[in-house]
Amino acid sequence: MSPDILEDAMELWFGPQHVSAHGWAAKLTLVGDYVVECDPNAGYFHRSAEKVLEFKNFRQGALVLERMCMLEAFLAEYPYVAAVEKLAEIEVPERAKIMRTIMMELSRLHSVQFWWGQFNAELGFFTMALWPWVDREYTLDAFEELTGSRHTVSYASPGGVKYDFTDKVLTQINRAVNRFEDRLPKFRDMQMGSPTFRARTKDIGLYDVKQGLKWGLSGPPIKACGVPMDLRKDDPDPNLAYDMVDWEVPIIENSEHPGQSDALDRMEQRFKEAEVAVEIIKQLLPQLPDSGPIINPKARGKANRLPEGEAYGRVEGARGITTLWLKTQEKAQTAYRAKIRGPCIASYYALKDLVPGAKFADFIVIFGSLDPYPGWWDR
Amino acid sequence: MLQFDFFTWLAGIPDWIYGIIQWLFSIVSGIFYWIWGIIEYLWATVFLPANFFFLFRAILFPGLVFVILALIWAVWFTRKLWGRIQDRRGPVHLGKYGGLQLFADAIKLISKETIIPDNAKRWMFRLLPGLLLVVVLLPFAFIPWDTVSAVNGGWAIADLSVSLVLVFAFLTAVPVISLLAGWVSGSKYTLIGGFRAANNQFAAEIPMIISTVGAVFLARSLSLFDIAMAQTNVWFAILLPINLATFLLAAIASVGIFPFDAPVADSEIIFGWRTEYTGIHFTLTYFAEFAEQMLYSALIVALFLGGPNGLPFLPGPVNFIIKFLIVFFFFVLVSSSFQRLRQDQIVHYCWKYLLPLAMLNIIIVMLAVVYLPGLILPLLGVG
Repeated sequence: MSPDILEDAMELWFGPQHVSAHGWAAKLTLVGDYVVECDPNAGYFHRSAEKVLEFKNFRQGALVLERMCMLEAFLAEYPYVAAVEKLAEIEVPERAKIMRTIMMELSRLHSVQFWWGQFNAELGFFTMALWPWVDREYTLDAFEELTGSRHTVSYASPGGVKYDFTDKVLTQINRAVNRFEDRLPKFRDMQMGSPTFRARTKDIGLYDVKQGLKWGLSGPPIKACGVPMDLRKDDPDPNLAYDMVDWEVPIIENSEHPGQSDALDRMEQRFKEAEVAVEIIKQLLPQLPDSGPIINPKARGKANRLPEGEAYGRVEGARGITTLWLKTQEKAQTAYRAKIRGPCIASYYALKDLVPGAKFADFIVIFGSLDPYPGWWDR
Repeated sequence: MLQFDFFTWLAGIPDWIYGIIQWLFSIVSGIFYWIWGIIEYLWATVFLPANFFFLFRAILFPGLVFVILALIWAVWFTRKLWGRIQDRRGPVHLGKYGGLQLFADAIKLISKETIIPDNAKRWMFRLLPGLLLVVVLLPFAFIPWDTVSAVNGGWAIADLSVSLVLVFAFLTAVPVISLLAGWVSGSKYTLIGGFRAANNQFAAEIPMIISTVGAVFLARSLSLFDIAMAQTNVWFAILLPINLATFLLAAIASVGIFPFDAPVADSEIIFGWRTEYTGIHFTLTYFAEFAEQMLYSALIVALFLGGPNGLPFLPGPVNFIIKFLIVFFFFVLVSSSFQRLRQDQIVHYCWKYLLPLAMLNIIIVMLAVVYLPGLILPLLGVG
């Protein structure tokens, strides 16, 4: 970039009051129709969650976390529960493990459905934005039937889960899953077969695995490059039931640019994520025992006061690896320090290297295909 | 010698006063009769059967009021159809099938505060939305609504030997107004939007005008009425199908609705050149977009779908409006089922695909007219 190019450059703040920028702002430097510099800014969505966690006891903490990212609420709250269980050495009943896993995959499904619609709205295809959102309503109905809340489910509790699966809940889950399975192939054909969609997403935001790992990306943006990096397989949580099902880590192997991923690959990757989530739910539902405890009866007492120590809870979220580090003091009712590391802080700051050179209209496509949610970097 | 006679002077005062009064009265009455004459003249002119009919056409039926009502209907129809396509209902609450929703929206928008940004050039900022709507509504005067021409008392408003050129001349002002509006709003987003709108129009207008050359060439006239009347035997849609397709696409691109809506791309540049407009100004620009869609629908009907020619037992305007609705339906259908294209892709698309296609059809018809005159010429409604 020679300095004379920057002479007729225009600085443009993309956000925080922009329609697409809900809680973030990036300073773009435009030369003509090209973005030559992108400066992502954090701080518009700060809710001091880490500080709040220091004042909540160990059964309340998960409630704060799920408000980090409403779109994958259960996946967001789980790391806290996992950390508490590790510290207090709580056993989880078999039934609760399966229920947690089902809920986790439903949450992933919901996240994909929401992102799918949002990405299409960002691309300017409002019809395709609303069609997945109709299916999403069924997933939300299942959440509502189970927990009474549509987004912030607060379902997990140290030692198990809070509510049992009734017949009605099972019906709703089946309905949501079947609806998605029924409509996905048609929608995928419409979306992937559309020349306008391919023209907008193909070779946009192209990066390879090395760059992705350097930026610290995880989850779908890395798996779309063809690397089966998935915490569910790599570091199986003993309190989840992923070992009970037979599944493969979904990856994209694009022969046109192996080891790289563009926006189209990341779209396809998320479809595959949702498919695998549905597959896992379908395999787990018959394995659910008819009766048994859903929560360890000793957990309540154990989680009341934790011993001194540190624990690291993490989960493969819908946007990448979501982690929470918890430090406690002896016999304290609240955490001494909690540190959240969301997946999106990496993908948001990846824009700094990824966007320069792209067209201005492609900026929002690159942003949308990485799917950063501001709650994860402002905390 | 002249002697001042006081008593004679005294006796003359009444005459003098009377003279002044007479003078004042003549001035007042003169003004009165002058105005009264104008009123009488206007009255007589308006209620002269031919004139009254002309004014009725210009103001009421195919003219202003009808077009504005059709505009409101078009907004409702678009929203309803979009809703149905998108698995929702669209407006339902006010009136039958939400039919009064648009009146409510218009009242709401008009009663809102009009915000003018500090950086804006105030006069231009206020003037441009109204000017845009006027420029877009004016060409409706030249739409051939009826099979009987305007001079013979048909429902068409006006007929001009070069009306097609005039319509395009008006429409050329639209991107200029968009660009100016983007410029005077004093925001970077509106500026980008304005340039995109201008770019869009320059990309789409050339294939669009070239598409009309085929129809002009077959009808041997630049008058929209003559072009419509040349299709009494066969519609130009059959002779110029590629031109119909290119004109439709170029019209959609020129209006800037969905696949080509980069000028108002909400996820990129908020609302393009309309970002800073609020209240009544926004209403005007919003209506202008729909008016432009309707105008292009009407032009397609007049140029390619036989205009008022159609079912013989129906009056011309009814035929015209039925076809007009079908074409407008296509506009909505296309705009709700495609992805937004990038600005460079729009230009690429219009100049690399639409332009050669538009020319191809003209060349085919030219060759047919020159080498197979017995096949084509008897089909046309011109001597």
